[in-house]
Amino acid sequence: MSDKQKILIVDDDPDIVEAMKVVLESRKYDVSVAGSGEEGLALAKSVRPNLIILDVMMETGSKGFEVSRKLNADEDLMKVPILMVTAIKEKTGIGFSHESGDDAWLPVDEYVEKPLKPGELIKKVEALLKKNPA
Amino acid sequence: MNGTPEANLIRRAYWFIRIRWIAAGAVVAITFFATRALHIPIRAPALYAIAGTLAAYNLVFLIHLRRVTAGPEPVPASTVNRTAALQISFDLLALGALVHFSGGVENPFLFYFIFHMIIAGILLTRRAAFLQAALAVSIITAVAVLEYSGAVPHHCLGRYVGRTLHDNALFVTGVSFVLASTIFAAVYMATSISSALREREAALAATNALLVEQDCIKSEYVFRVTHDIKGHLSAIRSCLDPVVEGVTGPVPPEQLNLIDRARRRSDTLLTFVKALLELTRMRLSKEIVMDAFLIEHAVESAVSYVEARAATKSIVVDQAIDDTAGWITGARVYVEETIANLLANSVKYSRDGGRIAIRVTDEGETVLVEIADRGIGIPEDEIPRVFDEFYRATNARAAERDGTGLGLSMARQVVERHGGEIWIESREGRGTTVSMRLPRNPPRGLSVGPALDFQRGEAYHEGSAGRRGVAQSG
Repeated sequence: MSDKQKILIVDDDPDIVEAMKVVLESRKYDVSVAGSGEEGLALAKSVRPNLIILDVMMETGSKGFEVSRKLNADEDLMKVPILMVTAIKEKTGIGFSHESGDDAWLPVDEYVEKPLKPGELIKKVEALLKKNPA
Repeated sequence: MNGTPEANLIRRAYWFIRIRWIAAGAVVAITFFATRALHIPIRAPALYAIAGTLAAYNLVFLIHLRRVTAGPEPVPASTVNRTAALQISFDLLALGALVHFSGGVENPFLFYFIFHMIIAGILLTRRAAFLQAALAVSIITAVAVLEYSGAVPHHCLGRYVGRTLHDNALFVTGVSFVLASTIFAAVYMATSISSALREREAALAATNALLVEQDCIKSEYVFRVTHDIKGHLSAIRSCLDPVVEGVTGPVPPEQLNLIDRARRRSDTLLTFVKALLELTRMRLSKEIVMDAFLIEHAVESAVSYVEARAATKSIVVDQAIDDTAGWITGARVYVEETIANLLANSVKYSRDGGRIAIRVTDEGETVLVEIADRGIGIPEDEIPRVFDEFYRATNARAAERDGTGLGLSMARQVVERHGGEIWIESREGRGTTVSMRLPRNPPRGLSVGPALDFQRGEAYHEGSAGRRGVAQSG
């Protein structure tokens, strides 16, 4: 790892945000956090993270999807890998976008269920960053 | 599905056709007996021809009924009713002809018209039944009047009946009147009773629909509450994990001990909540997406999920899968998960060094999956309850404190949604065999309630806290 890689966490559960932040910071990532979709989008534009961890179930229940589509539509951000986390995987009826093939609809790179163990979180983050070197 | 009014109607329609076979046979037998043994000079050829006609149109109605009930759509009640009305009218005409060729109003079989009226009263609406009664009375009156007037020949019953009975106006009027009034009274009574029964049937159906709806509301409530709880639990565990794993720095052992206990309890609760969510979701889902898959593959991956846990207890899992087990249509994720859960149960309640056997038998239209262990078994009086939600056998609770009591409810839910069956044989202290029979092609429309539309099974395994997230159906 060269410079400090930047990770943006967008989640409306402050405790989960805090826990993930602690874990990621222990691995020397530069972590910024956003508690809403709007804040997340704004922060993504200013911070230019190497990876975004995005929660599905924010506010309206599917705000995360909207955010992921907006990120994907943004020229500067479309290459940033997204790790989508959710409270319930199938609640919304979607599977795993990269396997089901409708990437355009849900442009995320990985889709995982909460809670993630620290080890898993780090593994997923490392894998995504390796796959998409900034 | 067998209790619906439509299903009852169809059952009655088949019953009605069976009765007519007997009637046609009886006509032949009685005609034979009357002409050969009693030497009554009735027109045997005409009567045999009528029996033949009866059998012929019965066959037509049978084929028609088979055809309309063969399709996947439920048969509308009106179709069945219309056919029933038509059959009764045919029967009345046949009976009229029969009576005419065997003595007309002199024939005591005249009273067989009343049978038809009772059947009409049961099968048809009140209005349709009275129309049939009117037809019956018209036929009887026509036979009586035409034979009396000499417009059609009278076929005398010979020495058994007075030669001129059909010419006796008082007799003819009397018989016709008594029969007609009996017919209307019979229809009135039969329809009164059957409409009261039908009302009760409808009331029961309405109550049942209400219960299903309320059950659905309850499930939705459980789903939402559980979902909420899961959110908090996820946060709790997310916060405890880094501490226990030392991400935040070393923790003194005394503190780690308690924090780790808290984490493990939250883990247990999370497993429970996930199982409950899964079960409720399954109950709420309108339809589960089904694909064809090889049962062998499902069994193999289910076995692979429990292998590690079996190995820690030195338990051997024997597999015996019929070469012809082949493809079945179903929700693979759910089926696999069910088998894995059943195997996990067997591992959990087997002694160290035990043996578990999973056998898959090709039964043609169905596939039988049996999972047998030599574990602690289930007390006999508790076997009927183990499929109940939250129920755990007393010895299971004693052996393993943790357990959701939902695994078997889930299994039953999955199997029933596939139109299959599941049952348990067990002897306490000797072992348990869980058997599930799955149809290769589950019937459509097994769903229950409305509500949420979930596509896929979230993987749930007791003890593994949903780590199997990425299992996919092929």
